Amino acid sequence: MTGLSPAPELRRILHIDMDAFYASVEQRDDPALRGRPVAVGHARARGVVAAASYEARRYGVRSAMPSAVASRRCPELVFVPPRFDVYRAVSGQIHEIFSRYTPLIQPLSLDEAYLDVTETVSQYGSATVIAERIRAEIHRETGLTASAGVSYNRFLAKLASDQNKPDGIFVVPPQRGAAFVAALPIERFHGIGPARAARMHALGIRTGADLRGWDIETLRRHFGKAAAFYYGVSRGIDERPVEPHRVRKSIGTETTLARDLHTEMDARTVLEPLAAKLWESCHRRGLTGRTVTLKVKYADFRIVTRARSLPEPVTGAEEILIAMTPFLKALFPAREGVRLLGVTLSALLSLEGAHGSGQLALFES
Amino acid sequence: MKFKADRATLLRALAHIQSVAEKRNTIPILANVLLSAEDGLLRLTATDMEIAVVENIAAETARPGATTAPAAVLYDIVRKLPDGSVVELDHAGTDAPLTLRAGKYATSLNVLPVDDFPSMVAGDLPFAFTIAASVLRGLIDRTRFAISTEETRYYLNGIYLHVADLETGPMLRAVATDGHRLARVEADVPVGAEGMPGVIIPRKTIHELRKLLDEGSTDIEVNVSDTRIQFRCGPILLTSKLIDGTFPEYERVIPKGNDRILRVGKRDFADAVGRVAAISQERSRPVKLSVMPNLLTLSAVSPDQGMAKEELDENSVAYDAAPIEIGFQARYLNDITDQIETEVEFAFADNAAPTLVRDTNTPSALYVLMPMRV
Repeated sequence: MTGLSPAPELRRILHIDMDAFYASVEQRDDPALRGRPVAVGHARARGVVAAASYEARRYGVRSAMPSAVASRRCPELVFVPPRFDVYRAVSGQIHEIFSRYTPLIQPLSLDEAYLDVTETVSQYGSATVIAERIRAEIHRETGLTASAGVSYNRFLAKLASDQNKPDGIFVVPPQRGAAFVAALPIERFHGIGPARAARMHALGIRTGADLRGWDIETLRRHFGKAAAFYYGVSRGIDERPVEPHRVRKSIGTETTLARDLHTEMDARTVLEPLAAKLWESCHRRGLTGRTVTLKVKYADFRIVTRARSLPEPVTGAEEILIAMTPFLKALFPAREGVRLLGVTLSALLSLEGAHGSGQLALFES
Repeated sequence: MKFKADRATLLRALAHIQSVAEKRNTIPILANVLLSAEDGLLRLTATDMEIAVVENIAAETARPGATTAPAAVLYDIVRKLPDGSVVELDHAGTDAPLTLRAGKYATSLNVLPVDDFPSMVAGDLPFAFTIAASVLRGLIDRTRFAISTEETRYYLNGIYLHVADLETGPMLRAVATDGHRLARVEADVPVGAEGMPGVIIPRKTIHELRKLLDEGSTDIEVNVSDTRIQFRCGPILLTSKLIDGTFPEYERVIPKGNDRILRVGKRDFADAVGRVAAISQERSRPVKLSVMPNLLTLSAVSPDQGMAKEELDENSVAYDAAPIEIGFQARYLNDITDQIETEVEFAFADNAAPTLVRDTNTPSALYVLMPMRV
């Protein structure tokens, strides 16, 4: 076996996740905000919360929540407009800290990343030592806190970083991986959304242990392509490598509906928060895009997609909605019920480059 | 219905037709082509309810009749048949499939009833004129790049064709703009077009029409009302709805007093823009022009990639006004220089005002370009 890459269970993977990143940056830079419930985002009518401080989360304020709802839940909530250039600069600092320990860094967004430290772990003693050093250096150099998950694959590392949040660390060693997963409710699994979770619940699958009781063929019948992933992770197995150069081609989100819908109006009601959520994840990654794709899955599981490219990159959730309007007009009313709606943005480019391109207009309206 | 047609003839007609048929429309019959054979003639029709294209070709009719079949599939099959083959299409009646035979190949296609095929009514088209295909090509080619794709301003999603009354007499004008740049091209008013209403011809119609203009007809018959336009190119008849909207008063954004004139060789300029802009991956890629007497410096900066610059001197540049620094999107510059033959003329006011661009060889065309802040 010499010369081959180490067996999967021997990898050392970290997941580092900044705590309430945007909100923490704002509180760091403006002492008046410290200790107060802060939402990064715009308070205006159709604004959405991009990030919430821990104080705000106590009131039930969450990211991707419409600003109006957030204000209702927490009347003293302070809205701060996002400063993406600052977040990106801090993200760069953090990335530089990671690079002191390994070149194998896969950023998921501005505030979280996977690190494969298998090759460098011997220099420091253990992956846990590396994680603690990274957390300490982030705190010393940026004044912000991060949480870390330490394990032998991406799936477990990500779950672990959530375990002792904020400002915490959690280790899932190889011998405990399967047991750790077994005890978890399946809705905590990264990759199982509310609709999937509901279907699993209906099948009697509530925990990792329940999931583990299913053979792969049966899983495939119920969940298609995702079956192999579920089968693996329920046993603590996830062989996906940390991919430092993974280039994102698209950002998307979708939701399976509790009840099939037929009208354009109902579709809009679903798509509005979906577009807001999509735009929020674009923001988090510092990206925008020019191509908007609408995905519609009918009750008979037939899927249609409609895509269009815009002359300029999208600059907000409303533009995503407007771009989809002609599709909605064409596809609705739908005789066949619609069970899932999804929105994807592709032809991605950096928000910085797209924002305020400086192009002047011929006709001032 | 039963007829035989020469593969090449049928293929050419299907090529004109099939892009009009909607491949992904939710109304299935719009993906079909209507075939009707009678008296040695096959008539093919496709429509997306906005545009209809009808083409007549010669076909040996054994039994007259009509049916509809998927345009894209039919096109693909005929395309793949060997050159020189004779294609036989046979439709026995209402529910029977359409069979296609060519040599030893045979296929049968599902059809949809002719009665369900929507017909597009052109209505009364009171204005009729004939225009040379070459003139129409010029009007389209020099303006279509500026057509907006932004659906919120739907009235910009086409070419505005109208007769303008100028001091020197009336001119036929094609104008397109996306709100950042504008293209205006003029031609003599064809006989019969004098009183025609100003019409906005949709982008897709322009695209389909442009293909037909390369098909050999030298003169195009145009019939127009204020809601429909029809082009006859030999055996092909294209009917289209017009965009129901008001084109903006474009004249007021065409600057009159821009007096800082830069002349630069098209080839040298276009190449330099391409090289300088290559530094940036952004779509809006700004290129800065720094103009001094007989010296033009193009430059671009990318926060990630670095910077690039190139100088063009008196060998290709003529300028004798006050220095100016002004930025434009690289692709906007390219789109315009693509229309220009040998020499580009810029007329600047300042770096935040519309700039006039012309081809020194083609006075009938004029472009307006809005700068970027750099």
